[in-house]
Amino acid sequence: MIVIKNSRLRRVLRIVIPFVIAPLFVIAGTYLFEPKRQAFVALAIAILACVLFIAGFEHKKTGSRRLIITSIFVALSVIGRFIPFFKPTTALTIIAGVYLGGEAGFLTGAFSALISNFYFGQGPWTPFQMLAWGMIGFFAGVFSKFFIKSRFALIIYGVIAGCVFSVIMDVWTVLWYSGTFSKELFLAAVVAALPHTALYSVSNVIFLFLIARPMGEKLTRIKTKYGV
Amino acid sequence: MEILNAKNLSFTYPDEDTPALSNVTFSVSEGEFVAVCGATGSGKSTLLSLLKREVAPMGKMTGEIFYRSTPTSSMSPRDLAFRIGYVTQRPEQQIVTDKVWHELSFALENMGLPSDEIRRRVAEVACFFGIEDLFDRRTDELSGGQKQLLNLAAVVATYPDILLLDEPTAQLDPIAASDFITMLKKLNSELSMTIIIADHRLEEIIPASDSLLVLGSGHIIAFGKTRAIASSLRSNPHMLTCMPAAVRIYSELANDDDEDKIECPLTVREGRDYILRCFRQDIKMRKMPEYTHKKSEALSFRNVYLRYSRDSEDVLRALSLTVYESELFCIVGGNGSGKTTALLAASGLRKFYAGNIKIFGRDIRSYKNGSLYSGCLVMLPQDVDTLFLCSTVEKELRDAGTDADSLPFKFPKAILDRHPYNISGGEKQLLGLAKLLATHPRLLLLDEPTKGLDAWYKTKIGNVLRSLTASGITVVIVTHDIEFAAAYADRCALFFRGSVVSSDTPQRFFAENSFYTTSAARMVRGIYDGAITADDVIALCRANGQRNENKQSALTGVT
Amino acid sequence: MKGNETFERNNPASVFVYYICVVAPVMFTMNPVIITLSLVGSVFSSFIGQERIGVRFHIYMLILFAIMTAANPIFYHNGETVLFVMNDNPITLEATIYGTVSAAAVISVLYRSRSFTLYMTSDRLLYLFSILSSKAALILTMALRYAPLYARHARRVADAQRAAGLYKERNMIDDIVGGGRVFSATATWALEYGIVTAASMEARGYGVGRRTRYSPYAFKHADIVLTATSLLLLAVIITAGAGGSFDFTFYPRIVAPPATVLTSAAYTAYGILSFLPAILTVIEVVRWKYLMQKI
Repeated sequence: MIVIKNSRLRRVLRIVIPFVIAPLFVIAGTYLFEPKRQAFVALAIAILACVLFIAGFEHKKTGSRRLIITSIFVALSVIGRFIPFFKPTTALTIIAGVYLGGEAGFLTGAFSALISNFYFGQGPWTPFQMLAWGMIGFFAGVFSKFFIKSRFALIIYGVIAGCVFSVIMDVWTVLWYSGTFSKELFLAAVVAALPHTALYSVSNVIFLFLIARPMGEKLTRIKTKYGV
Repeated sequence: MEILNAKNLSFTYPDEDTPALSNVTFSVSEGEFVAVCGATGSGKSTLLSLLKREVAPMGKMTGEIFYRSTPTSSMSPRDLAFRIGYVTQRPEQQIVTDKVWHELSFALENMGLPSDEIRRRVAEVACFFGIEDLFDRRTDELSGGQKQLLNLAAVVATYPDILLLDEPTAQLDPIAASDFITMLKKLNSELSMTIIIADHRLEEIIPASDSLLVLGSGHIIAFGKTRAIASSLRSNPHMLTCMPAAVRIYSELANDDDEDKIECPLTVREGRDYILRCFRQDIKMRKMPEYTHKKSEALSFRNVYLRYSRDSEDVLRALSLTVYESELFCIVGGNGSGKTTALLAASGLRKFYAGNIKIFGRDIRSYKNGSLYSGCLVMLPQDVDTLFLCSTVEKELRDAGTDADSLPFKFPKAILDRHPYNISGGEKQLLGLAKLLATHPRLLLLDEPTKGLDAWYKTKIGNVLRSLTASGITVVIVTHDIEFAAAYADRCALFFRGSVVSSDTPQRFFAENSFYTTSAARMVRGIYDGAITADDVIALCRANGQRNENKQSALTGVT
Repeated sequence: MKGNETFERNNPASVFVYYICVVAPVMFTMNPVIITLSLVGSVFSSFIGQERIGVRFHIYMLILFAIMTAANPIFYHNGETVLFVMNDNPITLEATIYGTVSAAAVISVLYRSRSFTLYMTSDRLLYLFSILSSKAALILTMALRYAPLYARHARRVADAQRAAGLYKERNMIDDIVGGGRVFSATATWALEYGIVTAASMEARGYGVGRRTRYSPYAFKHADIVLTATSLLLLAVIITAGAGGSFDFTFYPRIVAPPATVLTSAAYTAYGILSFLPAILTVIEVVRWKYLMQKI
């Protein structure tokens, strides 16, 4: 449905919109736009970014085996979100990004947010969660060479991902509630979410430490066995 | 008219020296029902997957396959995909989408058909299969049998000429398997679809088939009309193991001049006719040593009630059952009769709300902190894959704290370096058993250990279990496989609606039942007493001897 | 057609458009009239449309409303009218009202989200995604199928490992390690048998040519009406909003925009939009009653 003919333009747009323009918009919006409109702008951008990314996926040649492995990761991270306290969702998104590429990482993150929210509740936060998790998966794919080489780098990325996810969601909470970005409310939200953020980061570290390598081995086996 | 033929087909998997198939040549005519049989590893699956190019494994293939005398290598992927349908075992994993209606339309969407056409075909197929009432259901809510029927329906929706089926009923219970095979017969006789099926449930498939293709280590041993091939197998006792009871009895008893005069019986009815016509009935029963159980109890249920949630129905209702030490005890019964639940309750995985369960005379609730599972009781689950998590069989054994040499049975060492998911179903069961025996249990609970296994592996598992009971371990098996229970159990119990309706030694148990019994017992019902396996029948027939005065009438053949 | 679900027979795309149209103004403005209409409309629709929203949700929303109303004056001290002083910080009337309106906006969106979640079954979601990308929709449908499958398998693995004596359960570290074993076994199983699904897809001709899409949802007359109505009403509201005619000022002092024809039109339009599910349900019920009389 959304088709941009020039493939180079499409590629550029698909990277630039979600990862450059969208965050810029959110930050600029805090100072430039009238109060209350920022939340709307941010939401519109989040939806746009997800839509662009997902629509772009259509035009790539992707074999059924890769599709299935991606959906297996989505399903695993969805059920991971039901584990109390320590959740492997982000870790799995990162692993998908590292071993299957940025695109699969994005889809794993975004779709596991979307599907699990059918149980945890959909709302305007869904596009933000999709974008936040999707970006975590995407960047894991971008830096995959690093992360395969060094487990330390991967675990550090896990910590950062945990914090970034929390911060993005806090920004959204503040924007949505008060319509405008306010430092006081943001700090309050960050402080309130601190235990969550810590738990996110800790579980990312635990799971990346425990499952990154075995999952990598399993994936490599599957990839060689079935020629993905 | 010839629809499919293979010429000099050979195939070798990568990293292997011996070919999985060599020089296979055969042809199938339109509307033919072909049963493919052979032991695990004889190349059945390889052959079927080579005939369906989309699922062909990687490796080196020589020879040619023709579809209506066009080589398949020169056909368009589109033609090939929709002319030849393919269904394998694992009903759960073959389903692609989450709703029944979507699953039925999936292949049609791939064909690129317009919506109206899809709607019509989906409706048509749903009616033919009688699954209209499942139309809006989620696929994961269906039973295994319904899932496999859905898989078949989804393939049939593209109007294929040929259906290839690779052990489609391996994971199904007998009733569901029977339904599935009935549907295949219907597709064959009403729509003249050509069917090529490899399966272990030959008791029902062989009578339905027109021709039989027997494979042995990658070669065609025999191929031709079913009855002719079945009677020619007399010279090949190894292949006989997997044949229906009637064929086995005939092959053991018929002598060379009978072969031309009396047709080989395939079904229970034909087998009964054959015995009635050809054998005397002077000796009614074989003298068998009476089975006596030990005094000490290994597992006992007393008036146990269990339900999964407060509002649901009781799954176990006043279940009372005693298993004595070093017995091989088989629990049989229909689906949903509470067999598996009883096993879960006995292994402490599900809580019962009334009654009590004793393990070696001690209340199950007094075993604390997993002490039940160390050196006392273990359970082999129905899905044995749930036990595996390492990358090789050897590591699996080490994970459980054992190795191939310290097991009470001979472990196939050739598979030690393989991935636990790359070994056959029978080998998986052996690996599962090996892991369980590492804890030195005194009581072994097994849920459907023979599901999907071929006759040879059933014998192997049966012998391993017998050797375990001989060494003093108590074995309790829940199974749908009454032929297995008849051959190996010390005692059997029939479950119905959550409690035991009868329990006895297999001789008495299966001889008393008329419906729920082995095909050998049904064959000689009222003729001989207490004969429940093909071997029993053969022994009795031999003891009685051929009926000379009636031999002339038998010569006219069995219809 | 009992009419217990308002949009049951509509095309998901038109319903999606409706939800966007009804939520957008609330995210866009802080006008108390719009927000009150939104809150009342969404709560009312949740009662009349679907009976599936539980009591617990209403109670939870009530508590959330109270907390969010109180939060703003505690952190924000703008506004002229000081009500009282708490911990050397003034609590102002303006901040309290702003908090109340904010909370009402959030709560009304939560109600809409709730009914949207209930409406958006997997079939409908997949329909929407297949408009966007059929591959993405396929990933989604498979993931939706796999998730319950894996959850069930994980439970079976936990049982199997326990009853095999392979799972120690003395302390918390054993539990974590045990959980890791369960996860690892489930993941292996998922990946190994995922290939069976891939083979089955390919055997059914996935990827041999252009796919078509079969869906049980047609875009019918009622959908055109719903989409057109939603967009038209939203256009009225945007026209009014763009002219700034319902910009409401809270700080330093509450100033309401002057009532003009345009603002009244916008309020009416939003009122209809907000109560649309309720209105449609009533129409449906009346029609049903009428049809029943003819039997």
